[in-house]
Amino acid sequence: MAEVTLYHWEPNANSGKPMLALMEKGVPFDSHYIDMLNFDQHRPEYLAINPQGTIPAMTHGDKVLVESTAIMEYVNECFEGPDLMPADARDRWRVRWWMKFMDQWLAPSFSMIGWSVFIGPVVRQRDPAELEAAIERIPMPERRVSWRKAIYGTFSEAEIAESQRRVAMGIAMLEKELGKREWLGSDSYSLADINGFNLAYAIPLSQPELSNDELTPNLLRWLRAIYARKAVKDCWALGRTDMVKRVTILEQERI
Amino acid sequence: MATILYHGEPNGPSLAVLAAMAETGADVALDIECHAMDLLGGKRHTLPGVTEPLARDMGVEGEGPVLVIEGEAMTESVFLAQFFDEVGDGTSLQPEDAYAHWEMMMWCRQITERLSPAASLLGNLATSHQRLEALSEDAFAAQVEPIVSADLKVRWDLVRDGEADDAQLKDCEAKVMQAVERCEKQLADGREWLMGALTIADFETFAWLVGMEPIVPEAFKGKSETQAWMKRVKARPSVQAALARATSEAPERSWAPGPEINRWG
Ligand SMILES: N[C@@H](CCC(=O)N[C@@H](CS)C(=O)NCC(=O)O)C(=O)O
Repeated sequence: MAEVTLYHWEPNANSGKPMLALMEKGVPFDSHYIDMLNFDQHRPEYLAINPQGTIPAMTHGDKVLVESTAIMEYVNECFEGPDLMPADARDRWRVRWWMKFMDQWLAPSFSMIGWSVFIGPVVRQRDPAELEAAIERIPMPERRVSWRKAIYGTFSEAEIAESQRRVAMGIAMLEKELGKREWLGSDSYSLADINGFNLAYAIPLSQPELSNDELTPNLLRWLRAIYARKAVKDCWALGRTDMVKRVTILEQERI
Repeated sequence: MATILYHGEPNGPSLAVLAAMAETGADVALDIECHAMDLLGGKRHTLPGVTEPLARDMGVEGEGPVLVIEGEAMTESVFLAQFFDEVGDGTSLQPEDAYAHWEMMMWCRQITERLSPAASLLGNLATSHQRLEALSEDAFAAQVEPIVSADLKVRWDLVRDGEADDAQLKDCEAKVMQAVERCEKQLADGREWLMGALTIADFETFAWLVGMEPIVPEAFKGKSETQAWMKRVKARPSVQAALARATSEAPERSWAPGPEINRWG
């Protein structure tokens, strides 16, 4: 058994961040797939690992770790392999700034839209009584509210509009930043790029009117450069649903 | 070009960063000039010499301190503290051990994601609302005009309007209680500091909690470990030096619009 076990869903968003960081470092790990749409993350077996009932979580020997961005920093510091944080302290500040901005400002907006158009409609098909019981098992009250909104399609127009505003602004900000340096926030490939790729890889597919080779050349250059990495291929091979196919848009010569 | 730390009254993120600066010796290492600014007067958005305003305007933290180096506006108190620690004189506020370091970062992330928005809303409603409400329509509009972040502007409007629903206030109080309970549990084994050794987590957590003592006093009732720890943090020369920069009598009552309450989970 590998020393490291990662509990994750698809290579996407918070799950994909530590998956890709481990792959980039060359750290072998036991992959424990949590089916988020089947509410595996709220089952007692998983709550014993992460009582907050969110994914991902990682165990390393008898240590348990949560919070995807902090897990990535741990992986980078704990294991041999390429350094995924820049050498300069100010560059490291910028990398951390971008990760927080993506984690707490931009990603939740992508996620709200994703949950309203994809997750909600998929899950909604199930037996209503079963769904209610599933919602009741969610440990964090905030999450119960979110799941309810997704399942019953009760996001307000204003909420969705605000998320769309943030997505458009976030794309423009990424484009501008990636015009300054080769990688996000620094001149070397770092955790910010791993984080950003997991957030942004499907943007040209889901937001074609905001992101394409003409409008956002730097964003696309960056996404393609990351997609070309072996670790990304290995990571996306761990997905089990059609979601993983979205990344192949980056194989198109012109988008 | 001088390196300048623009900070508000020593409370919340400004307090955490000023303390971390003194603690690490970064003021000497980076030759930092400290300039006080009136955050609630909107002064953060008209700082001179900023050529890279992205972080100043779009930071998650809202109206926190800004470190300007070569025109780049650096923000987010935890990351500024880490930056100071990494360029300072070697006294480390970050654990060497990867797991202990993870614990500190995870702790700071959860404090800034859960406690900070709640403390900020409660603090602003209690102390800042009056001053903003007293401004004329035009004066307020002129003050928020240079703020690039539309959602930060919304937080300013909210403080001026002073309207928050009961459920939201209750939730904020609950978040403060949870943070104190978390500290109490962490300190239960008799340790001196939250992570064992003194780290950024002590300053960040203290700085957001200290202003809650007058506003949510019940959260601290019977929490003797946390109270004793707060006294220890407050007694640090670095914290005393930061508090000595106050221009008002009670800096823990000084607030300006901060991070937003999670809009999604
Ligand atoms: N801050 C946490 C957030 C984790 C999180 O919210 N994960 C989402 C998936 S990306 C989740 O577990 N959602 C399912 C649920 O809440 O039931 C982290 O970065 O790890």
